[in-house]
Amino acid sequence: MTPQKLWRKPLDAEKIGLPKAEIHVITDLCKGCDFCIEFCPKKVLEKSNKLNKRGAYPPKVVDEDNCALCSFCTAICPEFAVFTIEKERREGSESGEKQ
Amino acid sequence: MTLLKRSNSASDLYVCKVLYRRDRLYSRRTKKPLTIVLGREARMESPLIPQEIREKTKYCFECGVCTASCPMAELLSPQYNPRSVLQQILEDPDRALKSEGLWLCAWCYKCYKRCPQGLKLPEILHTAKQEVAKRGFDASFEKAVSIIEKHIPFPILCWYTCFHPERTGIPNDKIVAMKEKLAGRPKKGKKPTNRQGRAAIIGSGPAGLTAACQLAERGYPVTLFEALPKIGGMLRKSMPAYRLPRKELDNEIQLLKDLGVEIRTSTEVGKDIKFDELWRCGYKVVFVAVGAHTSLKLGIEGEDLDGVIDALNFLWTAKESAKVDITERVGVIGGGNVAIDAARTALRHKAKEVVILYRRSLNEMTANPWEIGEAEKEGVRIEFQVAPKKILKKDGKVAGLECFRVELGELDETGRKRPVPIEGSEFSLQLGTVIVAIGERTETSFLPNEVERDRSNRILVNPVTMETSMTRVFAGGDAVTGPASVIEAILAGKRAAGFMEKYLNETGEREDAHLAS
Amino acid sequence: MPILPADPEITEEARIGVYVCHCGLNIAGTVNCEEVAEFAATLPHVVVAKDHRYTCSDQGQELIKNDIKNSDLNRIVVASCSPRLHELTFRKTCEEAGLNKYLFEMANIREHCSWVHHHDKEAATEKAKDLVRAAVAKATLLESEIETVVPINRKALVIGGGVAGIQAALDLADTGYKVFVVEKQPSIGGRMAQIDKTFPTMDCSICILAPKMSDVGHHPNIELYTNSEVQEVKGYIGNFTVKVLKKPRYITDECSACNDCSEACPIAAPNEFDVGLATRKAIFTPFAQAVPSTYIIDRDLCLNEEGIMTCDKCIEACERQAIDFDMKPETIELQVGTIVVATGAEVSDPTRFTNYGYTRYPNVITSLEFERLINAGGPSSGNLVRPSDMKIPKTVAFIQCVGSRSKKGNPYCSNVCCMNTVKDSLLIKEHWPDVKIYVFYLDMRAFGKGFEDLYRRAKEAGVMFIRGLPAEVVEDPKTHNLWVIGENTLQKEIYKINLDLVILSVGIEPCKDSDAIQRLFTLSRTSDGFFMEAHPKLKPVDAPTGGVFLAGCAESPKDIKDSVTQASAAAARAGILMAQGKVTVEAITPKPILENCRICGMCAQVCPYNAIVVDKEAKSVQVIDAACAGCGTCGAECQFEALHMRHFTDNQIRSQIDALTEEDADTKIIAFCCNWCAYAGADFAGVSRIQYPPNVRIIRTMCSGRVSSTFIEHAFARGAGAVLVAGCHPGDCHYIDANYQTQRRVERLWKKMARLDVDTDRLQLLWASAAEGERIATKIREMQSVLAKLKPEGVEKATKAFEGR
Repeated sequence: MTPQKLWRKPLDAEKIGLPKAEIHVITDLCKGCDFCIEFCPKKVLEKSNKLNKRGAYPPKVVDEDNCALCSFCTAICPEFAVFTIEKERREGSESGEKQ
Repeated sequence: MTLLKRSNSASDLYVCKVLYRRDRLYSRRTKKPLTIVLGREARMESPLIPQEIREKTKYCFECGVCTASCPMAELLSPQYNPRSVLQQILEDPDRALKSEGLWLCAWCYKCYKRCPQGLKLPEILHTAKQEVAKRGFDASFEKAVSIIEKHIPFPILCWYTCFHPERTGIPNDKIVAMKEKLAGRPKKGKKPTNRQGRAAIIGSGPAGLTAACQLAERGYPVTLFEALPKIGGMLRKSMPAYRLPRKELDNEIQLLKDLGVEIRTSTEVGKDIKFDELWRCGYKVVFVAVGAHTSLKLGIEGEDLDGVIDALNFLWTAKESAKVDITERVGVIGGGNVAIDAARTALRHKAKEVVILYRRSLNEMTANPWEIGEAEKEGVRIEFQVAPKKILKKDGKVAGLECFRVELGELDETGRKRPVPIEGSEFSLQLGTVIVAIGERTETSFLPNEVERDRSNRILVNPVTMETSMTRVFAGGDAVTGPASVIEAILAGKRAAGFMEKYLNETGEREDAHLAS
Repeated sequence: MPILPADPEITEEARIGVYVCHCGLNIAGTVNCEEVAEFAATLPHVVVAKDHRYTCSDQGQELIKNDIKNSDLNRIVVASCSPRLHELTFRKTCEEAGLNKYLFEMANIREHCSWVHHHDKEAATEKAKDLVRAAVAKATLLESEIETVVPINRKALVIGGGVAGIQAALDLADTGYKVFVVEKQPSIGGRMAQIDKTFPTMDCSICILAPKMSDVGHHPNIELYTNSEVQEVKGYIGNFTVKVLKKPRYITDECSACNDCSEACPIAAPNEFDVGLATRKAIFTPFAQAVPSTYIIDRDLCLNEEGIMTCDKCIEACERQAIDFDMKPETIELQVGTIVVATGAEVSDPTRFTNYGYTRYPNVITSLEFERLINAGGPSSGNLVRPSDMKIPKTVAFIQCVGSRSKKGNPYCSNVCCMNTVKDSLLIKEHWPDVKIYVFYLDMRAFGKGFEDLYRRAKEAGVMFIRGLPAEVVEDPKTHNLWVIGENTLQKEIYKINLDLVILSVGIEPCKDSDAIQRLFTLSRTSDGFFMEAHPKLKPVDAPTGGVFLAGCAESPKDIKDSVTQASAAAARAGILMAQGKVTVEAITPKPILENCRICGMCAQVCPYNAIVVDKEAKSVQVIDAACAGCGTCGAECQFEALHMRHFTDNQIRSQIDALTEEDADTKIIAFCCNWCAYAGADFAGVSRIQYPPNVRIIRTMCSGRVSSTFIEHAFARGAGAVLVAGCHPGDCHYIDANYQTQRRVERLWKKMARLDVDTDRLQLLWASAAEGERIATKIREMQSVLAKLKPEGVEKATKAFEGR
């Protein structure tokens, strides 16, 4: 296989339908443990600076398009405060690459 | 044994029968012995070419890249073909010495940059020219001058900035005589214009001047816009006087005035007159030749100190007034033609020691290789693979420059090796003045978005017609190619003028996109 | 090991036969062979001295055999070509006549004399005489030796799974040997799997390759390790120990290649197989016909880190539970007898030719990208589309020699690009007959069988061949069309042609990690970066190292037919070794002389193969013959003359030095050249007819490490003008690192010379490879200036300083 830097946008980039995600954060359930932010492999969540009712800073979504729907955040949150839903798989969604 | 001898005219071949007598060949016609120059032997033994260049010329396989890149080849097509001149030097040196092609090289080194074998054509032709000067074949030189007179716009400008006949060894009086002949050439006067289409030229550098001249000669009303108080562009601003005397520039520009070109100086398009207004004023086509005048900044600590000068400003000041505020020890950062010019100008003023600091090696230096040699001969020191870290100060003025050494790593997008700093290699230079010459950008913010530009802000044009992505707007010169030579700008102006005519005549549709010339 | 006396008495008096070869006119044209033969007759111990036209021919060999019998000869000297060429031939001749083959010596008066001193016949003849004298002097001291026999492991290793590797593996496996194939990529197939059709037959490439790939996968004698790399190779011919790192796929053997996992995976990236023109997922199979037909996870893309499983979509999707994220890399040790290196080539990157605009303009593509586009199984389903707007182009141009035949790229011609372009243009015409095709070339090279026919077909189809490479490719920013500007050199016109698509015919470069492979096998590389064969004409598939063979583009750029041919040849050559089952180790290994030994252990320290075992308590020194490669570094290190270096003894080398410095020593350069690099390089200079001054006399040792300081000092004591020690480049030594010892010794000697006020320029050290004949010639020319400034007092001083050495 050629080791040239693969600089082109693949011709079927449009056709690859990757799942589109919707990320929901239930801010008032969050206790600020930051597990979801730390372990998200695509770094889609960031700590916000709005205090919630529990006195913690819940996460906010910064890059919803990059979400890969691995649902790790859903699995790891001890308070069930964050979860992802898959939207309809659309034709023409860009492929997401890990940074 | 027969020998095919080709005369000067390609269609006139005649076969000359030859007598073979032991180890000499005699022509039957003239009964005189023939010396036959066989291709391969001549290639190896040709005395015209110095040894180190001879080693390389073996590899020329006539790919034609040099001719395709040469601005003079296009301006003089088909009379000048550098590839065939080089081949003639290798194969038939005696005839090559008599050809006028030797004198037509404009020293822009575009061929050298593209040549797969890295042959320095200007220097090979230079050696041939020296040989000619020694033997006294001036006829070819005169013929070349008449070609220049007929086909090259602004021949005197080119005489000084491109052809450099003084480098060859032709006696000075001969050179002066030829120059006078050029200066005294019959000039085209103002042609009675009955044409309606008006052309606007923005920028009065060599590209703009050429386009204006060409269109005016064909009878179109032309307006030349120039932001500075005097026209000439880089030729006026930063070309040092020792390269182009001001008097000659003014004389050539007089030509323009005689042709009836409307010259509007101190008028900056975008500020004093908006770009869209040009259409409203009735101009049918616009030629953008604003050049590249915005110097790039280093971005290091101490750049705003007293004693750090931008190279273009320095050259301008040096031209305008004899006094320039530099110290005895000057450092020039950069490796292009502007850096070399700045260094040589500094030497001609107060500076005693000038050092050029370039972050890559000699192979990657964009300056004209001949000029680099000249600078070194004049005493300029060049340090390679050095990059500036910060400017040291003392009492609020520049005291020195802290630099570090770099090594060349992988290739970057421009195809040149990327300089990679070497840890712990910092050293200081004691300098009183730092001249920054790391590159110039073109300023095109006055153009509408429809005119597409690339990442470095250069205008993108169709290489055949010089038209931009906006119809009726043409562009050429440094604004398109980035900093380049005078002859390339002149070529751009001439090319564009030819195609601008179509709009000015309103003859209808544009030429077919699939054009082969 | 038997102990031999320190100075073995020659129990019989030497009776030497000298044969000076004419080699047709190769030698006789420059050297006066009769004169040399007459001279040889005057040397001590020479009983027979003849000259012959072609000594290596049957008649020549018969002559020698007869003389051995009739004249009772017990030493033979042949003055002819390089021993690297015909030493084996003549050794066999001696054996056939009943003489031990180690009683034979050669003087190289062709590559080192007649071919390089064309212009000075007298000096060449004198040099030939000197060389014969040295050979006779050494022959007088030669002893008969018995060779150790080493068994050969009947297993072979093939590195690289391209078409060459596949062919070699199949040939060896069909012969009956066990073969291990190690391939870096997850699937075998190499470049041939990527291209569409082959020239000149226009066969579908993968269709003819896939059955072979499948055969390799199923063959009972072949063990396939894909996604694996060779880490280490130790040993010698017939007995290699290879460590292979098997990188984990994270997929078990349960995988049935159903593709469910790939569909479920949320991460996509450009596909290497399609040169970035199509996407693949983080879990993928390289291409549809991959062998082994299984998947692999790219951990750099996969969301799961070490220990943290964030995404389990593939595990969920896989019905056969074939995914195992805990797989670890495995190191496998293989014992093999022969190795075939078929690592292949890569396409060169045209980004550095900025005037062509590759990576700046989307519609400038390389020939490999073209192959993928036009391939029916490729990213655009076989439609040649412009990457910018996915439309079929109406005008297309091919630019030849991109990256080849140029100083800025590679200086060599890449062999396949011309025919590749002709084939590609015919492919386009086949599908879209109305497309206008231009080919900008310098020379069209259609040298093979059926190639000229294909070229003619292309011309008939209407492809325009224009001689003159483009200087520039410029893009029209609106349409992304391209302008190509160049000179039509045959018409002497500048062309500016507007095109929809430009294809750069890029050249072939050796695989980027060929450096690592080279270190592993101590192979030599030519200046182009490809591996060097033992002899360009007679041994085109043998590597200089015994037991290692080369096949395919690893050796030089070539097309598929030549790769397959070379692969079969390599397999046959490897088969010869393995069929015999044994190989004899040359009897040039050392024998310890315990009486002189002080058990200091220095010899063991410098041995690159750990072939000497010194036991300080038991006061014993043992040499493991099978591991010893015969470099001689131990002998040079030993200060006490406790190692008898068979066939290259101290006395023999000294006698050569004495013979060469007999006359006019101060005008001569005595050169010690190592057999594998410097001597081969001087041979190469001879083959290339590179001329240099005739005052150099070369003494051959197996390795530059054999050259002890005492030899150099002895040469100076004899009044030699200058001494040159030449060996392999550091890191490239045929005996791993023995040349570092050479460097150490020479540097020490320089210091000593400086102390004794002897001009240090008179001793020079040169590293040259077997392909660098010009480098060696240049060095000899440079050293003439050292001799020019040498005064008689200087020679006197050195003679006195080193007296007695």
